[in-house]
Amino acid sequence: MRRSLPLALCLVMGIIMMIQFFVPHPVSVAFYDLTTKWIRIVSAFALVLGVGSLVLYHTDRLRRKRAGWEYSIVTLAGLVVTAIIGLGWGVKPGSPLQEVLFKNMLVPLNASMFAILAFYMASAAYRAFRARTKEAVLLLIAAFVVMLGMVPVGEAIWHKLPEFAEWILSVPNMAAKRAILFGVALGAIATSLKVILGIERGWLGGGKG
Amino acid sequence: MHISTNIWTWVAVLLTFGIFSFLWKDNPFYKFCEHLFVGISVGYTIALTWYNSVYPDLVTPLFREGKPLYIIPFVLGLCYFCRFIPKVSWLIRVPMGFVLGWASGVAIPAYFQTNIIKQIQGSLLTPAIFARWDIFLWALISFIGVVCSVLYFFFSREHKGALRLASETGIVFLMIGFGASFGYTVMARMSLLIGRFQFLLRDWLGVIK
Amino acid sequence: MSFFEKLLKIDRKVIFIVIAVLVLFPLLKPLGLGVSSGPRAKAVFDAVDAIPPGKTLLISVDFDPASMPELYPMLVALMRHCFAKNVKVLLCGLWITGAGLADRAVTEIPPEYGKKYGEDVVYLGWKAGVDAVILGMGENIKNVFPVDYYGHPLDSLPMMQEVTRLRDIPFMVAISAGTPGFADWLLYAQSRYGMRVGAGVTAVSAADAYPYLQSGQLTGLLAGMKGAAEYEVLVQKNGYSRAYMPAVAAMDSQSLAHIVIMVLVIIGNVAFFATRRIRR
Repeated sequence: MRRSLPLALCLVMGIIMMIQFFVPHPVSVAFYDLTTKWIRIVSAFALVLGVGSLVLYHTDRLRRKRAGWEYSIVTLAGLVVTAIIGLGWGVKPGSPLQEVLFKNMLVPLNASMFAILAFYMASAAYRAFRARTKEAVLLLIAAFVVMLGMVPVGEAIWHKLPEFAEWILSVPNMAAKRAILFGVALGAIATSLKVILGIERGWLGGGKG
Repeated sequence: MHISTNIWTWVAVLLTFGIFSFLWKDNPFYKFCEHLFVGISVGYTIALTWYNSVYPDLVTPLFREGKPLYIIPFVLGLCYFCRFIPKVSWLIRVPMGFVLGWASGVAIPAYFQTNIIKQIQGSLLTPAIFARWDIFLWALISFIGVVCSVLYFFFSREHKGALRLASETGIVFLMIGFGASFGYTVMARMSLLIGRFQFLLRDWLGVIK
Repeated sequence: MSFFEKLLKIDRKVIFIVIAVLVLFPLLKPLGLGVSSGPRAKAVFDAVDAIPPGKTLLISVDFDPASMPELYPMLVALMRHCFAKNVKVLLCGLWITGAGLADRAVTEIPPEYGKKYGEDVVYLGWKAGVDAVILGMGENIKNVFPVDYYGHPLDSLPMMQEVTRLRDIPFMVAISAGTPGFADWLLYAQSRYGMRVGAGVTAVSAADAYPYLQSGQLTGLLAGMKGAAEYEVLVQKNGYSRAYMPAVAAMDSQSLAHIVIMVLVIIGNVAFFATRRIRR
């Protein structure tokens, strides 16, 4: 039952929702409405898993005094304080959560994390991007054309460069990306079918039952 | 130059430099900022999930409006908490089965429609392409590119003869596609850095508009 | 060690400093390179421009602070365009950390055009469940968002009397930094409800959007900060706004940064092949 009930539920929901797409009968639409509402509620609870795992990891690190345990205090304190402020004072504009924590802490931290990637990308491009093969040369040329064509200086160098870059994006790039899209879509459909039919059971996890 | 006197702007600036300090080397200030970011993000998510999802979608209809059917998603959601109770941890599979089945069932027709059928329609050579010589040429090149790129990913047969020729043509298109992606990635990363510098120069130092 | 070997072993902090200086310089002293708009941005502009006054544009704010420099200017430019044309704006979001960003735009932009919340603009907020949210909105927006982001019941908002489901909306723009994003709107809103979708994306995902553009599933594309700059220029050229254009202001830095990266790659390759030759 521990495995057969969830598998059966997955099978039933999967088949019903696949068929529902093609059935405009009011009962079908009503079922669709109902399950869509329920999914939104259940999806919100999935947050519990992420938060729980994070808290367990950091409390364990703190308890065992593993390397970097002092920073676990920072994470847990940040989590608890933010959650209390948000739950206690609300999330509306003007609340401490939005005005202080979001605007002046979350935004700069998040933005800066990604901003430093620019430096590492430049360093990686200098050290690792080598035109050793014909394919690498092709990649490099396409990259240079797009990089120049998509900024004003490219147009200043040659007025047709933006057009050429647009052609690279619309023709060969489009063809390649479409091929990849086919592969991804077929893979997603195959995986969805395997999940529904119970062939793919990794989501059940291990352990007894 | 009008340096900001707002304390929270200074906090944002300090956190920005904290993250940027990683460029010099890993250090406690960076680690503090990194862990703070994780904690605040999760706390923010908890608060927003409660006010935007759980309270209006579950608490209000079930407990305030007394709609009994909402007990089903409520119980399903509570099953997520069983993850942390070893004796009944298998119950987490029930909401997961429900959500996975629903999402997989809904995704299959959507993927077919959007990423297979429409994309095949876009690849087909129709009479409209004969309107102009360049439209015809680019459509033909795209078509060849899509077919050859798809054939590159066909690994069930050894790439010999015609398949090898098609596969090598596909590689050309794929390399151009990856080059275009790299060119755009450079733009993306640089944009994020520019955004951070704009914040420092404008909101903190007041040297630019 | 030869000159080229020294060049290959250069400390990466030198590269960091070069990048920082060359990105900072044009922000302080603009180079004055103009920005012209391409066909993809023009397609989004024309689609929004064609929305009759009184009708609604849906904007999905699917990004977080990390992508703000590229995508927030798009959001602002789109809202200014709509308000100048008396088109109403309905916002929602699939990214939880984008909620505060959309709120900032809703607070700052409508007053510039004398627009009122509830009558000309409504922000629904964020909701868990991506595909369930989109599919739910397709049938009935109030089922998904019984109250807006600020806690107002949707029934109390005049604008929401005419907009009850996705089919009531002639066009939408999904401003997305990844997944979930425009691809989900195409998968669920377009395949089931025939929604017309335009996209504003980070440059990272721009190249991947071209198959959808070619097949006609996407009506136009704003790609990265350049796309944002193009839209800002279009909005200003057509007289819809005279506000400061942050994306346009950043394009000089962008140009210089791209040239630096190209030069670094070329130098790296020259040094590599020269070193290899010397060793042989």
